[in-house]
Amino acid sequence: MQTEQVIQVKQLAKKFGNFEAVKDVSFTVNKGDVFGFLGPNGAGKSTTIRCLLSLITPNAGSIELFGKSLAQDRSAILKNVGSIIEKPDFYKYLSAQKNLEIFARISGADVSAKEIAEMLDFVGLGNRAKHKVKGFSHGMKQRLGIAQTLLHKPELIILDEPTTGLDPQGIIEIRNLILRLKNEQNKTILLSSHQLSEIELIANRMVIINQGRSIVEGEVGNLLQSEETVVSIEVDDITKAMNSLSQHFAAASIQQITNKQLEIEVRKQDIPALSKCLVEAGVGIEALEPKRKLEDYFIKTIQS
Amino acid sequence: MLLKNTYNEFIKIVSKPRSYLGFGALTLLISIIIFAMKADGESIVSFVTASFEQTLSFNGKLVNGNLIAFIILQMLVVHIPLLVALVTGDLISGEAAMGTIRMLASKPISRTQIVLSKFIAGAIYTLLITIWLGVLSLLVSHWVFGSGDLIVLNSDGLVILPEADILWRFGLGFCVAYLALMTVATLSICLSAFAENSIGPIVATMAIIIVFTIIGTLDVTVFDTIKPYLFTTHMASWRSFFEDPIPYDDIIQSIIVLIVHIVVLIAITLYKFNKKDITS
Amino acid sequence: MKNTLLLSFLFLAFGSFSQTAQSVLDKINKKYAEIKDYTVDAKVTADIPMIKILPSNVKIYFKQKDKFKIESKGIVILPKQGFTELNNFLANKSKYTAVFGDSLVIRTVQTRLINIIPNESNGEIILAKIWVDQENMVIMRSQITTQTNGTVKIDYTYGDQLKKGLPSVMKFEIDVKKFKMPKSVASDINKSSKDPKKEKEKKRTKGTITITLSNYKVNTGLSDAVFKEKKK
Repeated sequence: MQTEQVIQVKQLAKKFGNFEAVKDVSFTVNKGDVFGFLGPNGAGKSTTIRCLLSLITPNAGSIELFGKSLAQDRSAILKNVGSIIEKPDFYKYLSAQKNLEIFARISGADVSAKEIAEMLDFVGLGNRAKHKVKGFSHGMKQRLGIAQTLLHKPELIILDEPTTGLDPQGIIEIRNLILRLKNEQNKTILLSSHQLSEIELIANRMVIINQGRSIVEGEVGNLLQSEETVVSIEVDDITKAMNSLSQHFAAASIQQITNKQLEIEVRKQDIPALSKCLVEAGVGIEALEPKRKLEDYFIKTIQS
Repeated sequence: MLLKNTYNEFIKIVSKPRSYLGFGALTLLISIIIFAMKADGESIVSFVTASFEQTLSFNGKLVNGNLIAFIILQMLVVHIPLLVALVTGDLISGEAAMGTIRMLASKPISRTQIVLSKFIAGAIYTLLITIWLGVLSLLVSHWVFGSGDLIVLNSDGLVILPEADILWRFGLGFCVAYLALMTVATLSICLSAFAENSIGPIVATMAIIIVFTIIGTLDVTVFDTIKPYLFTTHMASWRSFFEDPIPYDDIIQSIIVLIVHIVVLIAITLYKFNKKDITS
Repeated sequence: MKNTLLLSFLFLAFGSFSQTAQSVLDKINKKYAEIKDYTVDAKVTADIPMIKILPSNVKIYFKQKDKFKIESKGIVILPKQGFTELNNFLANKSKYTAVFGDSLVIRTVQTRLINIIPNESNGEIILAKIWVDQENMVIMRSQITTQTNGTVKIDYTYGDQLKKGLPSVMKFEIDVKKFKMPKSVASDINKSSKDPKKEKEKKRTKGTITITLSNYKVNTGLSDAVFKEKKK
């Protein structure tokens, strides 16, 4: 069975004056994917996403959504797309419900008042429906943004940095919401982020872009499994720990950071063995944290 | 989609507190003028008739509702454009400033429809302001001062229009005044498409009106060729309905100039907004 | 036939010379004094440079000696003087000296000019000239020059009230040289008066106001209360 492609971007390029924000980005999102769109700040993620939503007109390349050219079938395509770009902004002087009514009217679908109420309940804002948005916290606006995104039941949902500025609780809520959308409603989701851990937790496929170019694209599991991770360990006896690790992980790079903390670079699947080795050596582990930054991952990816 | 978004735009306008600023300011200004005219209207009129009164006597009710309405229109012609621009200058740039433009422009509505719906909503708002101005100036001043013949001072003399011959002049005058205000509204919407903050287009609109008005008032030959094409020259065209005989040719010319301005400004707005990369 | 004409002329001439200017005025004053009050409908038509106004209908109330009221629905422009001043001035013989001037035919009516020279220099009227139809003892034309209001010329036409000396048409000729357009907020800033027709209009120095009077009601015993209303 052939996989249905929801987004197909080919050799996308966009210039703002002399600045090339996007030089050459290509990727494909399949139906049902939670697709991670990764890149450091300034990599061209937002520009690419804005191109997908026709907010920005690209200088070169092609964008197809649902097998149709965005340039030619914009309206028909966007009826099936819901999006939050960066932070969701609403008409502050209107209530949550009125804001949703406004966006529902131009979403291309008939959305009833009942559906709006249900959607507000779905994102946990049922009791704030009549409240003006200007009194909402960032997290509440984000949830209202999700409601706005889902209102017209789109097949494709594009979320650009949906967890930016949220507290840990908010991040978890949004993450769970995305997983529910995938699992319960089988939506295709394009999720842009600069946090690898975020993508790792919920995406099945991803693309990494840097300096306006797509570097790597594939299954998240496959891409990350083979990768080495910097693990930061806090121990009670740094000398014993260094000795023990040097013996068991001779090939690994080990670095003492303080008299209680060290960092070692190992593959992800070796982390259990790492803690086992320290415990067996009688070293008390006070903290163990795999530190994997997307930037590090990039460098590795590019070098390899 | 156009109608739906026009409805949206209108909801946005009526929900914004600043939209009521215009109505409030008009009510206040008109109340002040009516109060002042009630207190000292006679002396204001005698200032106009003074040079004739050596040989002529003006009998009848000179200070009446029609005269007050006329004076109100005359005085507010400078201020109403600001009140209109306050709302219309914010229609596009306000969305950019608030960030909602991203949401709006990523919906399946075309940008042309977005602009046109904003333009229609702006036109409705301007119409409401004009109607409010008409209702307040005509009804309230008639209620306070009663009706009567209208004495109008034009550049070439006094015209006294009989009471029965005035209402239709006000009606047509308001239509042309509305067209002039629509030109201001369209100008501010057009400037709004170029800006990403609310205040810029409003200030720019007023600056353009002021500069054009000054050029129009200066008696300098170099400006004579451009004066007929400045929309500000035609903003007071409503006044021509109070001349006798009515200079219909001049009025039609003014209407044409104003409509051409509106059409060109909408075209520029559509072009700019359709080409615009939304990066805010 | 010739003789008859000659006789008539001699009679007229003798008749004219037989009375002094003052005695003519006395007769006119007497006629005027008989009218205690009147009301009359008037149609006012003004043709004045720099002022455009449609003809309007008013009602005029008069009661001796100088009670005068104009009732109008709309705005009416009337000459500042000319209704009562002359008659009141003529009534006081001690204030002036009347001297005959030339004869003049006004609209086929033979008239005689009477110059009226005030005896005092501090009065409002500096000089008055009246052309009198001595047959009917009515003023056919007057020209009054006052200290403050310049010269006003009035032509009188008589109809059914000829016997009472009440005119059916009064045509005022007004000097408008002193008219100046006030520059005020109400003036039209966007219009320049370079229209040659309008320029010509501005150069006119005379204006006329024609008052056509009809439906006189004389000596009806008008109450003073009629004149007590606020005049505007």
